[in-house]
Formats: sequence, C-alpha cells, structure tokens
Amino acid sequence: MKYVLLLTRGAWQENGTEEERAEVFGGIMEWFGRHSADGTIVEANQLQPPQTATTVVLDRGSSTLVDRPLLEAKEAIGGYAVIDVADLDAALALARSFPMPDGKVEVRPVVER
Amino acid sequence: MFREEAGRLTASLVRLLGDFDLAEEMVADAVVEALVRWPVEGVPDRPGAWLLTTARNRAIDRLRRDARYRVKLAKLSALPVTASREPDDRLRLIFTCCHPALDPDAQVALTLRAVAGLTTAEIARAFVVPESTLAKRLTRAKQKIVAAGIPYRTPEPEEWPSRLNQVLRVIYLIFNEAYLTTAGDSVARLELAHDARWLAALLAGWLPGEPEALGLLALLQLHLARWAARVDAHGRIVLLEDQDRSRWDERQIGPALALIERAGRLRRPGPYQIEAAIQAVHCEAPTWDATDWPQILQLYSLLAVYDGTPVVLLNRAIVIGQLEGPEAALVEVDELEGPLGRYYLFHATRAALLQQIGRTHEAHQANRKALQYTANEAEQAMLIDRLARQTGGCTPVLDGGPSSIWPSWPWPGGREPTSVPPAN
Repeated sequence: MKYVLLLTRGAWQENGTEEERAEVFGGIMEWFGRHSADGTIVEANQLQPPQTATTVVLDRGSSTLVDRPLLEAKEAIGGYAVIDVADLDAALALARSFPMPDGKVEVRPVVER
Repeated sequence: MFREEAGRLTASLVRLLGDFDLAEEMVADAVVEALVRWPVEGVPDRPGAWLLTTARNRAIDRLRRDARYRVKLAKLSALPVTASREPDDRLRLIFTCCHPALDPDAQVALTLRAVAGLTTAEIARAFVVPESTLAKRLTRAKQKIVAAGIPYRTPEPEEWPSRLNQVLRVIYLIFNEAYLTTAGDSVARLELAHDARWLAALLAGWLPGEPEALGLLALLQLHLARWAARVDAHGRIVLLEDQDRSRWDERQIGPALALIERAGRLRRPGPYQIEAAIQAVHCEAPTWDATDWPQILQLYSLLAVYDGTPVVLLNRAIVIGQLEGPEAALVEVDELEGPLGRYYLFHATRAALLQQIGRTHEAHQANRKALQYTANEAEQAMLIDRLARQTGGCTPVLDGGPSSIWPSWPWPGGREPTSVPPAN
C-alpha cells in the first residue's frame, strides 16, 4: 500500500547550535538513503522553508496568489515521502523511526487507481 | 449467548473474506434478524449455523449486484457450515478493533459491536449518545480500518506489550462506563458491566500467560461481586465504608482471589494486578475497621511506580489518612491541587479530611466546591447529603474515598468532569 508521510518542521530547526542541526540533518539524510535503497521510499523531498512558498487560491475559474504557505509557522510542512509498505503498522513504524527530535508526521494512504 | 456466536462469526468472516466492513455488516444484519425472529420462532438448535446461513444468504443477494465482489461471492458460497472455533480469529479481531490509530471512543464502540455483538442501539443507550452519532462513529472507524490499511492480525512481539495494554484499557473503559454512569437504565448498565467482564474473561482465556489480562478479569470480578451493595434503595451511592458487606457475593470473590494468585505466580506485576490486589484486601476485610490498611498503602505505593497519575496518588493519600491521621493526609492531598483542581473527589476528599481535623467552615466550602464539579445526579446527591449532615451537626466519618469505589486511574482520554451548577 502506498502512503504519504507529511513531515512538519520542528522546533529543533530554530533552536540549538549549527552543529546540532547539522547532526540531525545528517541522520535524516541517512534515513532517507537507507529506506530509498530498499524501495520502501518511492520518492521523497525536503521542502525549502515556508517563506519560499506561494499559495494559489482557486475560486470558480479565477485565482489569487498569496505570499504564504498553507499552514502557518509551527506546523509548517518541511518535507514529504511517498512510501510503499505492507500495511498501516509498517507505515507507522517507519514514521515513528524518523530521526527528528520533535515535530509531527502525518501518515495518509494514497488513493490507488 | 448469541453474542458469542456473532463475535466468532465476525472473526471467521473477516479472515475468510479479507474485508472487515463487509463481514461486520453481514453479521449485523443477521443479528438484527435473529433478534426479531428468535423470540417468535424460538432459538434454533445450532445458533451459529443459523447466523452463518442467514448472513450468507443476505450477503449473496447484495454481492450479486456488485461486480467487484465476484471473487468474494465465490468464497462465500464455499463457506463451511460451522463457524471456526479458533480463538485466534477473535484475538485478531479484538486487536484490530483496539488499534491505536483509531480514536478511543471508536475502539470501544467497535469492540462492543464486533466482538461482543451488541447492536448499535444497545451501545448508544449504554453510553447515552444518540444512535445516529454512534452509527457514524462506527462507520468512520470501519472505513478507516479499510482505507488506511489497518492489518487484521495479532501484533508483532515488539509491539505486543503496548498493544495488549490498549486492549485491556478498552475493556476497562467499557467497565468504567457501566460502573460510573448513573444516568439511564440501571439494568442496562449492569449488563454492560457484565459484557466488559465477559470480554476480559475471553482475553484471559486466550492469553493465560499474560498476568495483566488475569489481573483485569479479577479486578472486574471483584467490583461486580460488590455491585449490589454499592447503591441504596434510593439510587444513591453507598461508599465502601458504609456498605452492607453481607450483600457482597462471596461466590464471585473467591475465584477472583484465586486468579490474582495465579497471575502472581507468573512474576510480572503490573497496574491491573496491583489494583485487583487492593480490591482483594478490601474484600477480605470483614469490616471497614478490620481492613489491612498497611498492606493497602504498600500496594498503592507500588501502583504509583507503574502508574503515578494524580488519582492514584490521591487514593494513596487517603490511605495515609487511615494510618497517620487526617493532617498527614491533607498535606499529601493539597499537593495534588494542580492536576486535580477540577475533579470533584479531590474537593470531597479535602472536605472529609478538614471535617475530621475540625476545620468545619473550610470543610463546608470544599464540599460546595466539589458540587461544582460533579458529573451526575448520584454524585451530587451524595455530596448534598454530606453537606446536610455537616450542617446538621453530625460528624461525617472519613470514608474510604475514591480508592474504594471508583477505579483508581482516570481514563486515557481524560474524561473531564463537567461543571454543574450546585443544586439548591
């Protein structure tokens, strides 16, 4: 089954020293590498910070642009991964193992067509 | 009785069909038909077979209309006549219903539905929610199981302890609902308590090597054994201290004590075993005064290690009161104001202790405060009664407090006591 993991940014990205942040990032890169190698992760990306986002608001054919991400500050999305695993337990185990000291991971199944 | 069959049937069908939603609906339809026909036609000789045949026939018609289910249709026709008696199937079912990815309310509803075979109406009545609300809750939960891919199996070894705890917690939640709610039908509440005990017995039967499962069963059994003495003729709560112990059912107490011993021999203590042991000490005492308070204190101190939540500490403080006097107890109780300031029994306990010390005015104030936080009429009645006794000049005796009659720790979701304006 395919799931998307939506990873939030964490307080760890604002606080701590540059060394501490670099260490966490290192762990995260290693995690992505490991799980991509065995096919568990189909695709994954870290996103640039929320201030780089532009939101398009659609309304009956017309659209407006907003210089803001969808979700504000604390729960801003920091990255995503598309995974392919046996069931929800496997997806949750993967999400639990994501090596960031704080933050949230939403696990949502993909609509399979 | 046929609830047992329904549970077995659901479990088998989920395994055979690989479709939780479909299996559950089939059984639900068959159960409703049974409820309508059996009182009139009599209970069939082999209820399991009747249910299976009925479920299958009804479902076949429905499935014929949906091309996606051709394969499932083939499986249905090939179903054996008797439902599997495998304990494994229902074990898988209960673990699935109690999956932590589901909301606790949903876990409770689903377990009662799929494992215990209660109808939506019965569950709604027991939890005093509209039937439509409960129906939606069940539908959402079943859809989530299917859509999110919650697997139908018993957990892997590394997840086993936490997953088992979740199942125990759900069963305990169901029992608490029956035990603590005084709204609605008292007969229905006792039935719900029995349903919870039935689930606990099922679990203990499948997992005889799990001491916490045995502990939970013993705990529920001990509460049920004293059920009759807990409420007086006017529907008011009778605290443990005042209960007529001749109304305790010794036939239920004995086996529960044996169960606690059996669990103990497995040498893996845990909160349910300890709580059962505490109740056992109460049950073994011929009178309130003869209670072995030192042993209860030891047990509460042990319980606090496994479960240091404020309610446990409150109960422990009350026991300290029994041994060291009300002043010592008050010191411990006051430390819990932060977490328990909105809990009516916190204030009721303070009131009782203050009264004993002789600080009557403060005791009166504390009782009034307690009234603000009661959750139902029976609790209010008990407190109003106490207030009346206070102003009437009688000295209320320190009761055994929450530990004696209420389960010791709050619900996982933290059911907040609702604020109710004091009755006049």
